[in-house]
Amino acid sequence: MTKNKNKSLNNWKDKFTKEVKVDSVEDFFYSTDEEINIKPLYTEADLLDYKFNDISSLPGEWPYTRGPKASMYTNRPWTVRQYAGFSTAEESNKFYKKNLEAGQMGLSVAFDLPTHRGYDSDDELVVGDVGKAGVAIDTVEDMKVLFNEIPLDKMSVSMTMNGAVLPILAAFIVAGEEQGFDKKVLSGTIQNDILKEFMVRNTYIYPPEPSMKIVGDIIEYTAKEMPKFNSISISGYHMQEAGANNVQELAFTLADGMEYVRAALSKGLAVDDFAPRLSFFFAIGTDFFMEIAKLRAARTLWAKIMKDFGAENEKSLTLRTHCQTSGVSLTQKDPYNNIVRTSYEALSAVLGGTQSLHTNSFDEAIALPTEFSSRIARNTQLILQNETGITNTVDPLAGSYFVEKLTEDMCAAAWKIIKEVEELGGMTKAVAAGIPKLKIEESATQKQAKVDSGKRVVVGVNKFKNPNEPKIDVLVIDNEKVREDQIRKMNLVKSNRDSKLLEACLDNITNSAKNNEGNLLALTIEAIRARGTVGEVSKALENAFGRHYATNVGVSGVYGKFFEKDDKFMDIQKKINLFEKEKGRRPRVLIVKMGQDGHDRGAKIVATSFADLGFDIDMGPLFQTSKDVAKDAIENDVHAIGVSTLAAGHKTLVPALMQSLKELDKDNKIIVFVGGVIPEQDYQFLYDNNVSAIFGPGTSILDSAEEVIKLISEKNN
Amino acid sequence: MTDLKNRIIAGERAAIAKAITLVESSREEDIDRSHLLISELIKSPGHAVRVGFSGPPGVGKSTFIESFGSFIIKKNFKLGVLAIDPSSNFTGGSILGDKTRMSEISKNENTFIRSTPSRGSLGGIATGTREAAIILDAAGYDYIFIETVGVGQSEITAANLVDIFTLIVGPGSGDELQGIKKGITEYADIFIVNKHDGDLASQASRTASDYKSAISFYNKDSDDLETQVVLVSSIEGKGMNEVLNAYNNIIETNKKTNQFEIRREQQLAYWLEEEVRNKILLELSNEKGINSLIKSEIQRIISGDTGFYTASKGIIEQFLGKK
Ligand code: B12
Ligand SMILES: Nc1nc2c(ncn2[C@@H]2O[C@H](COP(=O)(O)OP(=O)(O)OP(=O)(O)O)[C@@H](O)[C@H]2O)c(=O)[nH]1
Repeated sequence: MTKNKNKSLNNWKDKFTKEVKVDSVEDFFYSTDEEINIKPLYTEADLLDYKFNDISSLPGEWPYTRGPKASMYTNRPWTVRQYAGFSTAEESNKFYKKNLEAGQMGLSVAFDLPTHRGYDSDDELVVGDVGKAGVAIDTVEDMKVLFNEIPLDKMSVSMTMNGAVLPILAAFIVAGEEQGFDKKVLSGTIQNDILKEFMVRNTYIYPPEPSMKIVGDIIEYTAKEMPKFNSISISGYHMQEAGANNVQELAFTLADGMEYVRAALSKGLAVDDFAPRLSFFFAIGTDFFMEIAKLRAARTLWAKIMKDFGAENEKSLTLRTHCQTSGVSLTQKDPYNNIVRTSYEALSAVLGGTQSLHTNSFDEAIALPTEFSSRIARNTQLILQNETGITNTVDPLAGSYFVEKLTEDMCAAAWKIIKEVEELGGMTKAVAAGIPKLKIEESATQKQAKVDSGKRVVVGVNKFKNPNEPKIDVLVIDNEKVREDQIRKMNLVKSNRDSKLLEACLDNITNSAKNNEGNLLALTIEAIRARGTVGEVSKALENAFGRHYATNVGVSGVYGKFFEKDDKFMDIQKKINLFEKEKGRRPRVLIVKMGQDGHDRGAKIVATSFADLGFDIDMGPLFQTSKDVAKDAIENDVHAIGVSTLAAGHKTLVPALMQSLKELDKDNKIIVFVGGVIPEQDYQFLYDNNVSAIFGPGTSILDSAEEVIKLISEKNN
Repeated sequence: MTDLKNRIIAGERAAIAKAITLVESSREEDIDRSHLLISELIKSPGHAVRVGFSGPPGVGKSTFIESFGSFIIKKNFKLGVLAIDPSSNFTGGSILGDKTRMSEISKNENTFIRSTPSRGSLGGIATGTREAAIILDAAGYDYIFIETVGVGQSEITAANLVDIFTLIVGPGSGDELQGIKKGITEYADIFIVNKHDGDLASQASRTASDYKSAISFYNKDSDDLETQVVLVSSIEGKGMNEVLNAYNNIIETNKKTNQFEIRREQQLAYWLEEEVRNKILLELSNEKGINSLIKSEIQRIISGDTGFYTASKGIIEQFLGKK
């Protein structure tokens, strides 16, 4: 650095400190959630001494920071790929075709939760969940309907499926086959990323070890048989949505990737045989530049990682990714604001160089999108592509002092975590020990505390509230009807199949799983061809592998620490202590998740925060039935039950719970309240079913705690 | 009260739960009612075998109870579990998450699972645990498992609650072994070495044989039933039959030698003493005059106006005089 430049930088510092009246510029550093210090100014001096980021590199060139391809969007813009699925295959198929006509470029299938968890629609464990949060698929016939009039040789299809990945991918392959296309021509992506299911997404079925074997089998099979198909989508998206900060998201995702590479290598594949078909998936949240830097850092680090694995093919070295704007950044309050938020996030994803993108709808925190809200979400991307000129230049932010430095900082911070994970023996071990999950929960709790304390502004939620909340239409799905339809269709399939043949196929699966022989995907394809259902195949695997039940450890003290001297916090504590004095024990609340809904971020944050406030919290496991919950509640004599429900099962599950409670104790005085994603249209229904209070997205935990202790105190007087 | 009693004896879930709340309560009026209830209930004892589990955090106590519990309910036994959960936090609240590791047995009709926050109480036993066991016994449960918090001084208290006291250990680094002093074998009836699976299997076997030789060393001149060591994997459900056999053996032998009854009597004596001691301590701490006397005497000791023994004697005399 020349003397002159140094001098002018010092001049700037003087001016700055005078303007903002601080002693030094450092006082104005902003520490992000990732604990990266953001400076008020970046200069040429910040371009020096990089370990990872090579600022002289070009797009499509090592270390690929500037993009996996030389031409990027100038040749072909990113793929507009909206994630969707609901109700039956018939309904979803109609929706897909309309979207494709309106400018969407690729498909992305959202399955319902029973399918995710390997249950058929007629299973009594899933009554509240069929068709609610995605499309219900029980047999290959459903799959064929889903892609009716959508030519699978041309359309690239992404499928978010992890737990029941074998029957679903098999059904896709057989559907293609019966449409007349060999599996060789099918293009698309299967998520097939099980590690993050154990961490955050919660649609696992089998224990970690056999689950990793399934991943390996799929990579092996597709590497040999499906050259145009991405065998895995290594996903950080769900981590950020569960509360991870950007460095955690980046580090854990790449560390997961390394684990999958090892799983494939252990199958005897050569790295360049499968690595070109590994793809990624990241979330793009509100921190505009951080997100751009994250994508650039991801490519940089992945290139390094793959080189260390001995990859030589350029396609193995380049990280290609899908992105989705952040759902958790979107609010139930003043929901049209979400269009603006999503636009910025989309811009961030594009400036970061994503290969494909999903933009969320403004009704994200209310229900699945309507046709109207989906159109705006899609058009957000189409406007970016067609009207802003953004596709004319590759990696337009390269050379920005700030973005380059942030890219380097992200690389360094993530690398540190990756090394720690490697020292633990890799991600499978770290996940089994629950470490990443705990870190993410801690981060999520901190984020909640920042919003509840007003340290972080969310427009329309904790500041600038809209006094006239708009009424908006929501998509309503009649799950009873979907369930009936599904059962009818499934029974039809069952009555027309060769059950001997199927039985043999299912036995083969169980035996192969038990003896660790053969490729499970190949065997599953046989069973699906023989009209086995998703549930039957999953059961055949379960017979060998068992089902996985997660154990809950939670963070403690994280929320309370934020409010050490806060008046409201202390006031609630006082009320709780008073209650204990008068009643001989603390107010005791059971917080539960029922059905197949695996959204546990809210429930866990509320549980730990309530405990910090002084409640005794019983935390139930995931996937409970109303009967399980009632038994737990009665045996532990809790004052209240807090039902956290986000996957739209509330109208079935809450009345069922009330019924189960009555059956165990007709005079019970247990208060039931509900938190999570509940469209306002359903509030009255819940109140009519004796729900005492409803806490929707954006509720301050302190407010809900105040209400809960009030309700409990009143009831017990 | 007789109504509650009858409902408990009839095995009504809600009644059992309310009664446990009553015996755990710190409210004056509840304490009196609770004593009344318990003295009623012990008139109609059941036949439950009470089993205690202790062991360092994370060795798999909850997981073992899930696994072994599933095993015995399949044999049509009714199982009650009293889990003392350690996770109280600085504000006094707690998250009771033990049950998430007992999801299989929680769902079962033939179980009753109750968690209680330990509130950092000494001995890892919550107020009311002993009484809760009496309630479950009267309600007809065949086994009552009491999971206590961790280790240290808690064993004596925990052991005095049960007919079989189990210490669960992990594939050890040998650290715990140092902890097996002579004393511990006197109240641990059985050692369970958990996590006998996967990478840990061989280490677990080694730990088990270390325990075996340590035990036979300490036990060599005792006529008591030798403390048994059983290897299990709670996750894989291995060794459960061996544990059940060991339990049956302990109960049979102890019944034959009358140890079973003698032990229950001794425990009664222990708890009576505890009760008296606690009552006196409570009285003492509630006595305002005494508290201020203690404070002023401390000052006098510091300033040299009186000595330690004179002061303590004076305080005790004043306290007893008042009574
Ligand atoms: C984060 C998120 C995820 C994460 C979940 C991570 C995790 N471990 O929790 C990931 C990415 C994995 C995910 C996946 C899916 N998701 Co999702 N997800 C969300 C999202 C964006 C935010 C939820 C959240 O965590 N918010 C932050 C927490 C803190 O808020 P909260 O839970 O609402 O809790 C607050 C209040 O509600 C209240 N509260 C909640 N519970 C309780 C309990 C008590 C006792 C109290 C007092 C208060 C209280 O207080 C809390 C603090 O303010 C919502 C949309 C949205 N913006 O709400 C969709 C949403 C819930 N998901 C949806 C869907 C469909 C899915 C999938 C099923 C998609 C698919 N087909 O594959 C999957 C499957 C997940 C599964 N296993 O169930 C839909 C559900 C549709 C519906 N209800 O009609 C939603 C609404 C999005 C949408 N509009 O489509 N998701
Ligand atoms: N490999 C293996 N791991 C086990 C076994 N049993 C328990 N674990 C694991 O050990 C950890 C602790 O198990 P818990 O049952 O919670 O242990 P605990 O002793 O009840 O712990 P605290 O409640 O914290 O005192 C969990 O991660 C279990 O999955 C086992 O048999 N084998």
